[in-house]
Amino acid sequence: MRVLLVEDEVRLADNLATALRDGPGFAVDWAADGEAGDDAARNLCYDLVILDLMLPKLDGHELLERMRARKDATPVLILTAKEGKEAIVQLLNAGADDYLAKPFDLGELIARAKVLIRRGKGAAHPTLHALGVELNTLEQTVHRNGVLVDLSPTEYHILEYLLHHPRKVVSKQELLEHLYDYNWEHHSNVIEAHVSNLRRKLDAAVPGADPVIETLRGRGYRLSPQSRGESQTESQR
Amino acid sequence: MTRFAAFGKTSIAFRLIAAVLLVEIAAAALVILVAFEYEEHSHFRSFDVMLRGRADSVLGAVQDAEDAGDNVMLDLADLHVPPEDIYEVWDGRGHLLGRSRNWPGSAGVRVPHDDGIFRFRVEDEAYRLLRFHGTRIVDPGDPSGGKLRFVTILYGSPTNRVWRAIYGAVEFYLAGMLLLVLITGPLIAWVLHRGLDPLRQLAALAGRVSADRWDFSPPASARETAELAPLTEALENALRRLEHSFNQQRTFVSDAAHELKTAVAVVKSSLQLVAMRRRTPEEYQAGNERALADTERIEELVAEMLTLARVESGPTPAATATSDLAECVSKTAAELETFAGVRQVDIAIDCLPAGPCAVRLGAEDCALIVSNLLMNAIQHSPPHSQVDLCISVQDAGVEFKVRDHGEGIDSAALPHVFERFYRSDPSRARDTGGSGLGLAITKAIVDKAGGRIMLTSEPGCGTTATVNLPLA
Repeated sequence: MRVLLVEDEVRLADNLATALRDGPGFAVDWAADGEAGDDAARNLCYDLVILDLMLPKLDGHELLERMRARKDATPVLILTAKEGKEAIVQLLNAGADDYLAKPFDLGELIARAKVLIRRGKGAAHPTLHALGVELNTLEQTVHRNGVLVDLSPTEYHILEYLLHHPRKVVSKQELLEHLYDYNWEHHSNVIEAHVSNLRRKLDAAVPGADPVIETLRGRGYRLSPQSRGESQTESQR
Repeated sequence: MTRFAAFGKTSIAFRLIAAVLLVEIAAAALVILVAFEYEEHSHFRSFDVMLRGRADSVLGAVQDAEDAGDNVMLDLADLHVPPEDIYEVWDGRGHLLGRSRNWPGSAGVRVPHDDGIFRFRVEDEAYRLLRFHGTRIVDPGDPSGGKLRFVTILYGSPTNRVWRAIYGAVEFYLAGMLLLVLITGPLIAWVLHRGLDPLRQLAALAGRVSADRWDFSPPASARETAELAPLTEALENALRRLEHSFNQQRTFVSDAAHELKTAVAVVKSSLQLVAMRRRTPEEYQAGNERALADTERIEELVAEMLTLARVESGPTPAATATSDLAECVSKTAAELETFAGVRQVDIAIDCLPAGPCAVRLGAEDCALIVSNLLMNAIQHSPPHSQVDLCISVQDAGVEFKVRDHGEGIDSAALPHVFERFYRSDPSRARDTGGSGLGLAITKAIVDKAGGRIMLTSEPGCGTTATVNLPLA
C-alpha cells in the first residue's frame, strides 16, 4: 500500500514515514507543502493521503477540496492541531474520511490508516478471504486452508493488493506504484520474482490445490477466476 | 435602578432636579421678600394718606367755641371716623380740646413733639399715629380775615388690618410659588428622564458587548447628542482597539497552541517510533537522541514565547538600563562567528561609530535583537556570501543595518514578517524556519525602546533590516 504524507514539519513527517514503513510496511511519499502534495496526489497511485492542515503555499483544506473536485476518491486522513468541533465538521463535510488531533498516538494513526485503506478497497473486515486463502491485515499473516504460509513483506503486500482487487487485472506497474515509494528503483522484474515466490509458497502449502494467482502475459496478474465469486462473498461476511 | 436615582450612587438627574428646585425655591423666597416689601410700602402709603384725610376731618371738627374768648372747641357731632381710631386735639395754648372715647390719652405715652408719623402701641394693639400742627381760621367772614387758631392733632389708627392685607397678599404669592415648585419638580424629572434616554440606550448597547460579540452600533440618538457624541466615539474607538488586540491575542494563543501541539506531536511520535518494536541498543540510543533534540525544540519554543510575553507585558525597560549598541553588535557578531562559519557565511562589520552610542535597552534585549536579525540574515544567506552590518549615529538617533545577499523576501510576504509565528520560508525546515517568533520579539523590543524597525527586500538580491533607536 502506498501512502502520500503531506506534512510541513520535517521531524514529524520523518517519524510518520518511518513508522508507516516499519509498521504496516506501506510505501510512503512525503510532500513538504500543499502544492507538492497536490502534484503528487494527481498521480492517483495512492491508497491513502495523510494530510496536515496548516501547510505552506496551499493549506490542507484547499488541497482536500481540489482532490474531491477532480473526483479523486482516495481516502484522506487529516492531522490537525486546530481546536473546536466546527473545523472538524467542516473538514468531514469537505470530504475528509477521518481526522486525528495532534499530538496523536502513532499506533492509533497506523490503525486508522489501515482502516481507511481497507475501507477504500471496499472491505469491512480486517481479514481478507479468497480461494481458501485467509489474510489477516492486523497480524499480517496468511493461511491457506488453515496452514500458515510464511511470506516476505513484499510477497505479503502483493497478495494483499490482489485480494483487495479480486476482479481486476493488476499490472506490474500498478504493483510497483502501490508497493514502493519514490525512493526505490522501479524494476518490474523485481515484481516478477516476488510474484513467482508468492505463488510457489501458496501452492506448496496445500498440495494439489488450484493456483491462487494467474498470470496474464503482457497484462499482469489477477486472482484465479474460480476464486473471484468466493472472494466476493467472503469479503462481505 | 429606580426611576431617577439609584440610591447609594450619585445621579446626574437627581442632582439636576435638586439644583433646579433649590434655585426655584431661592427665587421664590426672593420674590416673596420683594413682594412683602412692596406690599408693605404701598399699603402703608395709602394708609398714611387715609390717616391724614381722617386727621383733616378731625381738624374740620374744630369749631369756634362761641364764648367770650377766642376759644375753639371740638364738635364731635359731625365727625364720622371709624370707631377704633383714636385721636386727641390740643389748642395752641396747650389745652386739650377733646379726644376719642376709646383712648385714655397720650398723657401716659411718650409722644414725640415733632410732627410726623410714628408707630405706637395701645394695649397690645399696634397703631400708626399722625401728629401735625394745623391752623383753623375762626370767623372767616370777619372783615379782618378771621382769627388764626393753632391746634395740634394726634390721630391714630390700628394697623392690624393693613398687616392682614399684606400677609394675605404674601400668602397668595407663597401659595403660587409652592404650586410652581410642586408642578415643576416632577415635570423636570420627567423631562430629564426623557432627555437622558440616549444615554440609557447607549449604556444598554454597550452592556451587550462581550468577548464573543464585539459588534457595537451606537444608537443614532447618542450620536446626534452633542454631549454624548464624544463619549460614543470614544467608546467605539476603544472597543475597536480592544477587539483588535483581543483577536490578535486569540490568534496568538491558537497559533501558539498549534506550534506547541505540533512540537509535542514530534516528541511523542519519536518516542513511539522507538517503542514500536524491539531495537538494538544503538537504535535506542539514536532514537533517544532524536527525542531529546525534539524536546529541545519545545524548550526553545516555550522560551521564545516567554520572552515575547516578557517584552510585551513587562514594565518599560528602566530608563537607567542602557547599553552600547556598537559593543553589543561586535560581541554578538563574534558569538555567531562559528554558526556563520558552519554555513560558510562571512560576517562583516562595515561601519562603526567613532564615539559611544548608548541606547535605551538592557544588555540582554540588545543582544537579543542583534542576534535575531543576524541569525535571520545568516540563515537566509547562500554559502560563500557575506552579511553586512553597519551602525551609524545620526542626529535623531542610531541606525543599525543588517544586510544579507540571500534569496530575499517575496513582496507579498514582507508586510507579515513581524507577525508572530509567521514564516516566509515555505518549508518549515528547522534549520531555517525557526519558531516564527524571532522577528516579533525583535519588533516588540525595538518598539519598547521607542525605536523603529523596517525590513526591505529585493527578491534575488537580499534583505536589509534597518533598526532606528533613539540615543539614550
